[in-house]
Amino acid sequence: MSWKLFSLLLQASGMTILVSAFAIVAGLIIAIALSALRLSGNRLALGFVAVFVSFFRGVPLLVQLLLLFNLLPALGISLSSLSTALIGLTLCTAAYQTENLRGGFAAVPPGLIESADMLGFTPVQSFLRIKVPIALRLTFPTLISEAILILKASSLVSVVGVIELTKMASNLAASTFMPVELYAAAGLIYLAINQVVTLIGRFAEGRLPGTGVPAR
Amino acid sequence: MKFDIGVILASGHEILSGLALTVLIWIAGSALGLGLGFIVATLRRYGGPLVNLGLAIPVEILRGTPFLVQIFLLYFGGPFIGLSLDPIPAGLLGLTVYGAAYYSEIFRAGYQSVPEGHVEAADCLGFGRIQTIRHVLLPEMALIVLPPAVNMTVILLKETALLSLITVPELTLTVQAIGSQKYAFLESLFVLALVYWALVEIAGQLGRLAEGYFSRYRTART
Amino acid sequence: MTTDDIPAIACNKVCKSFGSTEVLKDITLDIPAGQVSCLIGPSGSGKSTLLRCMAFLEEATSGTILIKGQPLGFSEQDSGFRARQPASQIRAVRANIGMVFQQFNLWPHMTALGNVSAALRVVRGLPKREAEARAMAQLEKVGLADRADHYPSQLSGGQQQRVAIARALAQEPRIMLFDEPTSALDPELTGEVLNVMRQLAAEGMTMVVVTHEIGFAGSVANRINFLDHGRLLFSGSPEEVFRKPRHPRLEQFLDTYLDRGASMLV
Repeated sequence: MSWKLFSLLLQASGMTILVSAFAIVAGLIIAIALSALRLSGNRLALGFVAVFVSFFRGVPLLVQLLLLFNLLPALGISLSSLSTALIGLTLCTAAYQTENLRGGFAAVPPGLIESADMLGFTPVQSFLRIKVPIALRLTFPTLISEAILILKASSLVSVVGVIELTKMASNLAASTFMPVELYAAAGLIYLAINQVVTLIGRFAEGRLPGTGVPAR
Repeated sequence: MKFDIGVILASGHEILSGLALTVLIWIAGSALGLGLGFIVATLRRYGGPLVNLGLAIPVEILRGTPFLVQIFLLYFGGPFIGLSLDPIPAGLLGLTVYGAAYYSEIFRAGYQSVPEGHVEAADCLGFGRIQTIRHVLLPEMALIVLPPAVNMTVILLKETALLSLITVPELTLTVQAIGSQKYAFLESLFVLALVYWALVEIAGQLGRLAEGYFSRYRTART
Repeated sequence: MTTDDIPAIACNKVCKSFGSTEVLKDITLDIPAGQVSCLIGPSGSGKSTLLRCMAFLEEATSGTILIKGQPLGFSEQDSGFRARQPASQIRAVRANIGMVFQQFNLWPHMTALGNVSAALRVVRGLPKREAEARAMAQLEKVGLADRADHYPSQLSGGQQQRVAIARALAQEPRIMLFDEPTSALDPELTGEVLNVMRQLAAEGMTMVVVTHEIGFAGSVANRINFLDHGRLLFSGSPEEVFRKPRHPRLEQFLDTYLDRGASMLV
């Protein structure tokens, strides 16, 4: 396979990284908001979060994306295929990340919140300053695995017309009749990106300040 | 905007045939993947460092690349290297191999969870290797292996939807085809999402039942 | 001073039940301002629960608790109806109280300085520089200025508890509550924490200390309150407690602690 083809794949992998990074970060923010709703103890909020998480984890991402692409125009919302794909991928990972964070929030020792209460923190302040940072540290490894899952899942946005790594490989395979080389090369690029994410994750995990709960 | 689910449900017969193929490929793929995964994990444990490395590489490649790219490579690339498969066998093969990579890691963790001393005890009693696996390792690791294996099996159910992209006439392809015949894309996709949601919930419940059954068995003994 | 006339904390007929278990039975107790009051008693006697009620970390089932004359948690209305206070009012009354926990409860993701300065920044809204200067002064006071940039996981238990004391003091409370502050520490580390508490007592801080350190109670406390099975059985000066124990349960309790430093006082 020529260098020219490979460089086209590399360029398209920029879109893969961009889409995945956006979804992970935006999904994390939504997951934190959903966790706050869940911790509020309000029954309606609890029900909403449960249905949200169950739906987006229970329906294949491909079906979610196809549904979103047909639903938004029907509701009179016209967005580019990239924007729609970003929304779809974000909602899906938000559901998974909410579920991942559940254990982290449950593992925050209640005493750490009592000490914040005694110092005058409001519930919102102690959620943002104490619970969220500790829950994120406790669940950091699952965040890295989720990032890798999303990198792989981002290949599905090719189906709805976003030109990322998989779509580029498909287009080139169709025009050059070299599907073996192109899909294998695309696979290798995915593998390389995932290795980098794993390494960054390991590096960052060792450097998170004060990981864990104080020594007793 | 008109929204009439009835249009889609009128094609219930076709939907059922798509559903049947989805469930069939899912169960066959999971079962074959589980078996292959177990064999891979066992070979990696007993086959020596070279076999271990030789199997680690494909496992890491399969786990590090998207399933979509794998089935495209198999289905569209296969004919170029003398592997021409029809959509259904290609889909089944793809799902099996993909699942096997993940199942093998689950079994590997299961093997590692059994204390060395238990294996040594079996050795001392004159158990052969297969007897040790059958009577010591498998029962001991069952509880460790079951939850992630159930989880993976549910993931495979959702992955079968991707087989529509290599024209396997499973649920997603069937319902989409009905939608385009009747100009009712949105309705068809709603039905599709609901059916998958229900399937995944049912599969998850069955998995939890199985976990509960096995953990009761385990706690009753100890 | 008029503020010395009203008790720092006044508990009136405080009862607390968890389900059908009565943990506190009709506790009426005044904590005088500017003094050290200890709560002692066997485990399960309700002493920690009483302290936590004084901080409204547990809600008394009935009875009232006044902090410097202000009701905490519930307001009694003229009709006798007991209304829960809004969260902002609870925070306002609680601002008088600093609390030190058995398990330190330092936030693991912040340095010692971060732990002490966090509330100054978040709750009081002080700029970072000023909050950290004040926090540093508190760390110096507990002798840990050189550990300011250490995370809790890098500190010994005794150091963590001293940081926790500094954290509470930084909010300038008028009353300090200590819930078994040395129970989670190795014996050789209790001294450094007790020394900080002695220093605080000498400065005239109002302190309520739940403790098993009978030696500390005997030498530092102005008043010792003995609880057993949720009742306040005895309340008096250390001399009264140790010289001529009156209540058989108190005598029995002290006997089990004779080996732990109380013997020298008897």
